[in-house]
Amino acid sequence: MEHVRGLAFYTKLYRKILVQDLKTKMSYRADFIISTIGMIMTNLSGFVTFLILFRNFPTINGWDYYHMLFLYGFSLVALTPVQCFFDNNWNLRFMVYSGDFIKYCFRPVNVFFYFISEVFDVKGLGQLAFGIGTLVYSWIHIGLPVSFMIILKLIVFLITASLFMIALMNAAAATCFWIKNSGYVMVIMFRFKDFAKYPASIFSGIFKVIFTFVIPIAFVAYYPSLVILDPDNVPLLSLLSPVLGILFFYLSYKFWMLGVRKYDFTGS
Amino acid sequence: MNPRKLLALTRAGIMESLQFRLGTFVTLFANLIYLVLVYYLWKAIYASSGVDVVNGMTFTDTMIYLILATSLFNFLEMFVVWDMSRSIQSGKIILDLLKPMKFRRYTFWSYSGSHVVSFFLTFLPTFVVVMIITHGAIHMGLNLIWFVIATVFALLINFNIEMLVATVCLYTESTWGINIVKETIVLLLSGASIPIAFFPDKLKTVVEYMPFRGVYDIPLTILLQKNGSDTLEGLLPMFLFQLIWIVILTAAGTLFWNYSVKKITVNGG
Repeated sequence: MEHVRGLAFYTKLYRKILVQDLKTKMSYRADFIISTIGMIMTNLSGFVTFLILFRNFPTINGWDYYHMLFLYGFSLVALTPVQCFFDNNWNLRFMVYSGDFIKYCFRPVNVFFYFISEVFDVKGLGQLAFGIGTLVYSWIHIGLPVSFMIILKLIVFLITASLFMIALMNAAAATCFWIKNSGYVMVIMFRFKDFAKYPASIFSGIFKVIFTFVIPIAFVAYYPSLVILDPDNVPLLSLLSPVLGILFFYLSYKFWMLGVRKYDFTGS
Repeated sequence: MNPRKLLALTRAGIMESLQFRLGTFVTLFANLIYLVLVYYLWKAIYASSGVDVVNGMTFTDTMIYLILATSLFNFLEMFVVWDMSRSIQSGKIILDLLKPMKFRRYTFWSYSGSHVVSFFLTFLPTFVVVMIITHGAIHMGLNLIWFVIATVFALLINFNIEMLVATVCLYTESTWGINIVKETIVLLLSGASIPIAFFPDKLKTVVEYMPFRGVYDIPLTILLQKNGSDTLEGLLPMFLFQLIWIVILTAAGTLFWNYSVKKITVNGG
């Protein structure tokens, strides 16, 4: 069992790779500044759209302005890990086509870990700040209590929510092992996240099932945030979301690794 | 300019995009799922508001507007910025510059083929689905012809914006950043993320004068016969608006490009 390493080993390794990546980024300062401006612009534009919407329609499906704002901030924070830590998924298809991907298979570490750890996307932190700001602002206006337990709950369910988007993007990226031009799949999956900030109660019928269990955007903000917003009658799906999140992540990881195994066979 | 030369470029573009049929079908499929999302979201929004018409837009109007805006977005998408930065980095741009044709014209006509393909394979099917779902809420008449003309103008405005932004790539390698800034501005101010009819008055006045409106809002307004576009008096200012911006953007783009290309030659040695 030589190739199974402990958590301590991987944490240390991640830190080393991270520092290398940040050093590389520092040498392209102009790119960093322009990308950060771009990221701030996307968030601002999303916010402006949100404001314009609420100027015309004061409530959506029983959700008022501040509750919607909470959902919006929650989704922004939940979408940060996929942006910061899993951004290298966007490069996967280029690596696979060019054959450069083979280098990851020759290291004595987990292929998925090594590939994903290579890139840390700093500009995602802007989104995190924006999301936390929105969350705190709506928190105060709704008048939610502040206690150690509720903060702990918030953190647990934010991490839970982020797992779903990570799983979605892992699976979308892994399609490149099978289909050409899989960039479309990723772009589309990434676009669905724009709908995560709306209450999933708007869906009905078969699409409710699809957006809950197949393309789980209902879990990116709606179900996990109900634990905080409505603690007296939390739906079962909200309580189950940590388990489901881990399950989705695990499945996407298995799918990703299945692709790697397929690549091994054909590529070499 | 010999039109046969230009059409040869179009044909090459058509053949190239037909290579990626899967991508086209995935786009079409995604449009349909997107259609479902937009449908549920706006149905809930209109149901909560308790009125049928908000700012002159009914639920059906808003839905047609937003779905066709997404569909137009896929149809107009050009990737000029990405391709330009890639060909600068690989040096391939030299070959394109040496071609016996103006670079801007060459770029436009090489992309024209993919527009033709995406029009028939993604825009038209989406349009038909929207028509069926809304039970013929789209008026079938002269407005379709005006819509096609406005879309061609929109294509030209979009191309010019793309070229202006792509020229910036001669100065920096931050393609992702440049592209996302462009996309965000165009999508918000053109009405593609939320119809311009919903904008607050002050913002609306500013947006009215910007070229982005000519890309999505004007063709869709004409299609839905809003803002008096069902009469010639209402229609003419819109077309004039688009034409004026095409002239301004073409002039600005050509000047900026010619200036920048010279600069890049100096840097390259």
